[in-house]
Amino acid sequence: MGIVEVRDLQYTYPNASAPALRGLDLTVEEGEFILLTGPSGCGKTTFCRCLNGLIPHFYSGELGGEVVVAGLSTRDHPTTELARHVGLIFQNPDNQIFALTVEKDVAFGLENLGVEKARMRKAVDWALGVTGISDLRHRATHELSGGQKQRLAIASILAMRPRVIVLDEPTSFLDPVGAERIFEVLDSLNREYRMTIILIEHRMDLAVRHVDRAIVFTGGKIVADGPPYEVFASEDTRLTGVGIPKIVELSKLLSRRGIVFKETPLTADSFVENIETRISRIEAGRRERPVPADVGGLIDEQRGRPIIEVAGVSYTYPSGVQALRDVSLTIHQGEFVAIMGENGAGKTTLVKHFNGLLKPQDGRVVVDGVDVSQVSVASLSRNVGLVFQNPDDQLFSENVEEEISFALRNFGFESEVIEKRVEWALNLLDLERYRKSSPFILSGGERKRTALASVLAWDPEVVVLDEPTIGQDYAQKERLRHFLMQLRTQGKTPIIVTHDVEFVAECRPRIILMADGRIISDGPTDRIMTDMDALKRASVSPPEVTKVFSKLSRYGFPPNVVEVEEAADMLYRRLREVER
Amino acid sequence: MSLLEGLRFSRGTSPVHMLDPRVKFFMTLVIFVAAVMFMDLIPLLLILLIQIPLVIAGEIEREWVKTLRGGIFFSVVIFTTNLVSFYFFRGRHLTSDMVEFALALTLRFLVLITSFSIFFLTTSPDKLSLALEKARIPYELNFAFITAIRFVPVLAEEAESIMDAQRSRGLELDRGNFLARIRKYIPILLPLIINSIRRSLELAEAMESRAFGASSSRTNLYELEMGRRDLAVLIVSVLALLAVLYAKFFMPPFGPLLPPYTFL
Repeated sequence: MGIVEVRDLQYTYPNASAPALRGLDLTVEEGEFILLTGPSGCGKTTFCRCLNGLIPHFYSGELGGEVVVAGLSTRDHPTTELARHVGLIFQNPDNQIFALTVEKDVAFGLENLGVEKARMRKAVDWALGVTGISDLRHRATHELSGGQKQRLAIASILAMRPRVIVLDEPTSFLDPVGAERIFEVLDSLNREYRMTIILIEHRMDLAVRHVDRAIVFTGGKIVADGPPYEVFASEDTRLTGVGIPKIVELSKLLSRRGIVFKETPLTADSFVENIETRISRIEAGRRERPVPADVGGLIDEQRGRPIIEVAGVSYTYPSGVQALRDVSLTIHQGEFVAIMGENGAGKTTLVKHFNGLLKPQDGRVVVDGVDVSQVSVASLSRNVGLVFQNPDDQLFSENVEEEISFALRNFGFESEVIEKRVEWALNLLDLERYRKSSPFILSGGERKRTALASVLAWDPEVVVLDEPTIGQDYAQKERLRHFLMQLRTQGKTPIIVTHDVEFVAECRPRIILMADGRIISDGPTDRIMTDMDALKRASVSPPEVTKVFSKLSRYGFPPNVVEVEEAADMLYRRLREVER
Repeated sequence: MSLLEGLRFSRGTSPVHMLDPRVKFFMTLVIFVAAVMFMDLIPLLLILLIQIPLVIAGEIEREWVKTLRGGIFFSVVIFTTNLVSFYFFRGRHLTSDMVEFALALTLRFLVLITSFSIFFLTTSPDKLSLALEKARIPYELNFAFITAIRFVPVLAEEAESIMDAQRSRGLELDRGNFLARIRKYIPILLPLIINSIRRSLELAEAMESRAFGASSSRTNLYELEMGRRDLAVLIVSVLALLAVLYAKFFMPPFGPLLPPYTFL
């Protein structure tokens, strides 16, 4: 019998019209590392809640079938008891930290279980050690970075020594470096301690490198289950609309054109290995191939007037953190810009200067010819719309329509104009259905769209989106990408602040890389995304395709390739000779 | 968020920080009792002078000065209202006694806020909670207390994000008359409240997952242990309390019940 046995699991939330889970069957063997994925609302989170008995003990509703974890049926054993065997780690680290100091928080579960002090001490030390936060043990929990907080959340669960840990999108709020660390921790737990890990994750490219089994959910059912190379190569998975790792996508594009892989590669390394053997076969007889010219990417020649000019700006927060150091940059109308860099690099501080939320302490920011120090946030916002990361930090109205008209009323638009603009924004973001619905009952993706609509409604020239892809599934990201392109064709200036390299590789904006309060690199996507030194300094890892091409550059491939279709074309042209 | 600064205790390792919170609380209580008992300038001044080495030993001079600065306004209010009322109630004339008494009352106020500062600025909520636990306060209450403190910085951050978001949507908090301004806080408060409700649900899930309430005999990673130094401070505090009581009831200048001021 497996460590987790799920038999015909069905569940309907109280007051819900449709079931969230419709008959799941699943066996998890001890020591497996499983990736659980699926589009938003597919039942992944609900499934996690079933694993430690939150369903049915915390959430009522209708439960059918059975879940047995470590030999205990979740129906008969309360969550507090199951907690010793299966640990749940949630998305937002802040909402699972209870104590004021790190060490004390790690001990919280053990204190609740009444573990005696000497044993508790040992378990706490071990948990701090395996998550790599021993040196933080006496720090105040609120002073930690997001990544440190999430590692603390993991340590706090580990201290109870569960045999299974379940993580629900643990890296959503983290930057790539923070996410990578979490994976290192999970890897060592899985390998060294044979801990069973069930992970829900949207960062596919990172996840497939580590897991040994993938399960895809859709509509409360399992549609695919098996080794990742099989699952992600299957048509069933593709149809659910979940993200496919870029390397798998690349291999699929090639195999459709006759370059077939026996086992679909999942990582840049294994892909490169495969391609190398093929190339060396034709290369054997020949010397030196001509090096093809750079593909160059799309260069924007048609530039509008400068709309945002930042000159020598520095900013230090009252806490003493210097967030910007002598930053200068010019953004032209109609440009599409992505600002990237790790958390704390100064990205958000920079964009808050664009609509005057922050005034430069040193230097000057000029927006559309107006010095931001001279005017109010409200008047600057007419030109520069800022959409923040978390829609819940701004939604407050009775219904979506009201929500969208809020800003319009603040700006003093006439009522007929407001009506028209609201109509336009509802249409644009596909929200007409929800016109009279409360924004609070909408799904996460819909709330995000409502927040976006409430800003776009006044038609600002510049639209700044802070982390627009966080928590969004693949289909939602695609929609966002099309939307950004549309803004661009309308002559608007979209600016995104993001960690999502794959998203950026597909959008191909001008990229501004920031590190430690400074701009360290600025240019078109294919140049910045292939500048390994600059990326490293900014703690941004290159897109998967770029990794492949930088490794293949000795075979005469251009190193500045960032996007899948382009990569597939180039590889196909070269490999076709081999396959013949 | 200057208001929240007050809640931030310093995480020091000074001898005052290291004192057992129960002993420290008793010490504070003795100072409190002494300050309330005396109404004359000299003993109150003496108490304040005794407190200064404690402030220095606790390495909280800067915070203390800040607190005093915050207390200036109230000190002035206390001094003037007393003086003015004496003046009017005692036939419109002023004696040096009256000035002295008003000064003494002001000094008493300063002594009290100093003693609270010493206690709260050098006692981490963790230790306070341990002390409460020892005092047999139910764990649930204790947990609520710690959680409230834990989420102060989280809420402050969230409030800031919400303000940024709404200001970016053209909300101008500082325009309009008083009522209009109050109404403008609705778009700030509502998301804050709704987020808190969402959060409380998530917290409850996380608590369950950490076996909250699993065992009736909860254990504790940290334990309060009275050391030799704690004992010494305790003894000194008890002696001081006795001395104060003796002075109050048996030493003539301070009189058993009435203060020495003849005009009262």
